[in-house]
Amino acid sequence: MIGAIGANTVEDVSDIGRFGRFAWRAIKACGWSIGRTATYPLIWVQMNIIGVRSVPIVMITGAFVGMILAVQAYDQLAGMGLEEHLGVLINISVVKELGPVLTAVMLAGRVGGALTAELGTMNVTEQIDAVRSMGTDPVKYLVAPRLLACLFLTPVLIIYADLLGVLGGYFIGVIQLGINSQGYWDFSAYGVDMWDVAVGVIKGFFFGAAIAVISCYKGFTCKEGAHGVGQACTEAFVTSFMAILALDFALAVVFKAIYNTFWPMKSLVG
Amino acid sequence: MENGEHNNQTADGNGNGIIVIKNLTKKFGDNIVLDNISLSIEKGKTTVVIGPSGCGKTVLIKNFIVLLRPSSGEIYFKNKRIDNLPERELNTIRIHYGFLFQGGALFDSLSVAENIMFPIRQHYNTTDWGHVEDVIKTKLAMVGLDGFQNYYPANLSGGQKKRVALARAIALNPEVILYDEPTTGLDPIRADIINELVLKLQRELGATTVVVTHDMTSAYKIADRIIMLHNGKIIADGDAEHIRNHPHPVVQQFITGQVSEDDLAVLRASGSVAKAQFLPRDFKE
Ligand SMILES: Nc1ncnc2c1ncn2[C@@H]1O[C@H](COP(=O)(O)OP(=O)(O)O)[C@@H](O)[C@H]1O
Ligand SMILES: [Mg+2]
Repeated sequence: MIGAIGANTVEDVSDIGRFGRFAWRAIKACGWSIGRTATYPLIWVQMNIIGVRSVPIVMITGAFVGMILAVQAYDQLAGMGLEEHLGVLINISVVKELGPVLTAVMLAGRVGGALTAELGTMNVTEQIDAVRSMGTDPVKYLVAPRLLACLFLTPVLIIYADLLGVLGGYFIGVIQLGINSQGYWDFSAYGVDMWDVAVGVIKGFFFGAAIAVISCYKGFTCKEGAHGVGQACTEAFVTSFMAILALDFALAVVFKAIYNTFWPMKSLVG
Repeated sequence: MENGEHNNQTADGNGNGIIVIKNLTKKFGDNIVLDNISLSIEKGKTTVVIGPSGCGKTVLIKNFIVLLRPSSGEIYFKNKRIDNLPERELNTIRIHYGFLFQGGALFDSLSVAENIMFPIRQHYNTTDWGHVEDVIKTKLAMVGLDGFQNYYPANLSGGQKKRVALARAIALNPEVILYDEPTTGLDPIRADIINELVLKLQRELGATTVVVTHDMTSAYKIADRIIMLHNGKIIADGDAEHIRNHPHPVVQQFITGQVSEDDLAVLRASGSVAKAQFLPRDFKE
């Protein structure tokens, strides 16, 4: 029993080592790829697949988040006569946390699943070996364009989600519940600054990279058969989800430290 | 070598083999797939590796171009040791090889022409697209599929896929072509087309050819030399005549396609098939 757990742990540790090497190769391949215009069409194709087709789903998610927050928070704030603060509450939650995290989770499901399934199928049908057999590095050819596309587009998609979240909150708060529009926006502008938006968008780079690297890794190491591909997809999503939450926590700590270093007064006043 | 198979073996490295394997062992966990194999592949000849499914034929030829790394042992290409090279340097070796994968391994998202163009685009900075088109046309004509340039793999039959994959494998005029079960899953006529193709490419490109198969008709037709793998070892090695008259019972069973007495005994012992049938729910005796 203890032996089995031990063996499992050794397996997991060596798996982390393999993942680390894979991630490092992927990052190097991205650098290589950016330096070569010949690889741009490949990136462009992936951007279309990964980014453009995710726009509707991300916008719908954003809009619902804004609307749900408005409905949930309104009664509590109204009870204290603070309903005009609804704007700042919704908007700061959306741009700092919910927009980035929920967008990333949506992408982990939609894009990560598709990446793992595609690369996993290529793996079990020997297409990745075929790339290698023709003297090409599959990490450069297959992983780098996907990683770069996720890296560039996740922040953009987060901005879409933020916009729709803000509009959704406005729609419920001002149009449906009749909060004074002037007050709603004044408090929002006072409470949300560029820093908050930037934090959310910068998180997007990390989330996008994590989703792409994890999903590609799971595809590359997927076991044979339809069962293997399915299992790899599930693992890719679960691992990406955990990584998003862990990164969100780590980045929150880091950004807080940065913020307190550069704008120490603001937190006293605000 | 325990079986007295000394033909062509150059484990001590007499250097005339284009691919030389020394004491190759390959394990997956506790599963020893290849057990201390030594082998030299002669330049310009057609070598056929036979053996039952799962005996490690694919693993063996993937080791030839280090798609899999040996657990121990050494691999040489033209007297240069390659099994310990980093992936980046291997890529410059691998362009001398063409590898036909068992299922073809065509890229689903690329058309037939783009599949064949793949190795060319990866290794040559050409802008002369007219010439590339000519090359694609020639390669497709060699496998009898000129005109299929704009098809996608999903729209091809199994045999057509293998032939396109072959056209892709020979796109860079390789010195060595490795075939993984080129005739498996094809009807006898299409299988023979592939046999003829293997012979034709060997003639026209002068390539060293290694074919992995369990199709004895194909093996006899194309082989200069046949090697049989069993339990991770080479148990027979020689020309078709040598294999036909080989004394080893496992070799005889394999080439004549007969099940061994042991396996038959298991079948007999398992009892009547009819008795093992399920009875309908409302069955009454
Ligand atoms: N990547 C791998 N991981 C683990 N085991 C493998 C792997 N590839 C092959 N094997 C095992 O090696 C053995 C030989 O496989 P293979 O070379 O594909 O046989 P075949 O002679 O049919 O081509 C099988 O038992 C298979 O399970
Ligand atoms: Mg095989």
